[in-house]
Amino acid sequence: MSMSETDDVLNKISTLLASGLETKTEPFPETEKEFGEILKELRALDPDDLKSKLVIGGFLNHPYGEEQYRCMECMYYLVHRKWCDLPELAVPVEAEWWCRLWRI
Amino acid sequence: MANLLWLQGGACSGNTMSFLNAEEPSACDLVTDFGINVLWHPSLGLELGDNVKQLLQDCISGKIPLDIFVFEGTVVNAPNGTGNWNRFCGRPMKDWVKELSDAAAFVVAIGDCATWGGIPAMAPNPSESVGMQFLKREKGGSLGTGFTSKAGLPVINIPGCPAHPDWVTQILVAVASGRAGDLTLDEFHRPKTFFSSFTQTGCTRNMHFAYKVSATEFGQRKGCLFYDLGCRGPMTHSPCNRVLWNRQSSKTRSGMPCMGCTEPEFPFYDLDPGTVFKTQTVMGVPKDMPTGVDKAGYIKLTGAAKAAAPAWAEQDIFVV
Repeated sequence: MSMSETDDVLNKISTLLASGLETKTEPFPETEKEFGEILKELRALDPDDLKSKLVIGGFLNHPYGEEQYRCMECMYYLVHRKWCDLPELAVPVEAEWWCRLWRI
Repeated sequence: MANLLWLQGGACSGNTMSFLNAEEPSACDLVTDFGINVLWHPSLGLELGDNVKQLLQDCISGKIPLDIFVFEGTVVNAPNGTGNWNRFCGRPMKDWVKELSDAAAFVVAIGDCATWGGIPAMAPNPSESVGMQFLKREKGGSLGTGFTSKAGLPVINIPGCPAHPDWVTQILVAVASGRAGDLTLDEFHRPKTFFSSFTQTGCTRNMHFAYKVSATEFGQRKGCLFYDLGCRGPMTHSPCNRVLWNRQSSKTRSGMPCMGCTEPEFPFYDLDPGTVFKTQTVMGVPKDMPTGVDKAGYIKLTGAAKAAAPAWAEQDIFVV
């Protein structure tokens, strides 16, 4: 994905989340099995179905929970590319966002 | 000259295969340069049937001095404690193990099965397998907690699935050449010279570990395998990245996670589906932290490391 394409997708995601897109932040996958089931759902999507990816992933455009977890601390987040490196998501993200596939 | 006898119990012969690939020193070097006389080995011994039995009996009686008794594989006790599922030379192998261990100057357990039971001793353990002096973390095993060989040492454990060939031959040389006194053993009877450092020590991915950049697929050259792919390098005692495999590489160097095979709990989580090659987490935080690290410290460190990570840490720097 080129820089301009990445920016386009990031803008699109920002707009969707800012417009109040309802995503599945709950339940948080507490076990590997639950985590794997979400990944399965994501793999079944059309690769261009960005909206469903955000919904199933449980994206938020702000930190989550009492501990204020955010992409910045997630192991899939690449700081310099501002990119989620989880193969099933593989989207540009902001450091202050969060999703329920968050892992540290 | 040191007489060595090698027997196998509940084993796949993986440690024998490993041993035969040793390089520094090689299995042949043990004989030609270090004065080890291999009395018998399942893959190398010339004797068959009654001749093997006679040799074992001569070792037990003292007619043939037994300097080093090496055992590979579990000690099988099934069914019902009889050991009859693993008979050798007319009697349960566990009986030979007991008597030969009592007769030997040194006893060496090679591989996870012989050290702590390994895969055969996983629940429900139908073969009633145990290691020579441990069952997983619990001391005792087949020979009992208080066992020491004639030289005064407990069973020397060289774990691994398989054990690295050079760990085996180097320890055998130390014992055969009268330097066993230089060996110090850890709480699980592993020689400290090999098992004090971690698999992570010397791993080429340490920079990625430090900057919290994760590998997300097997074989990827960038990224640390601990965060997502279940690598146990930070909490496994082994020199796999110091004494390289085939003198070339290691699992983590080639992009495969360490499975922690030198630790008594191996295989972890009894190989439950979803537990192999997948970091186990609770609410997104690893269940098994690097040795000595607590959860709060880990989270703080992650935030700081990510914030400080240089751009190259996210790239594949091992280009051809």
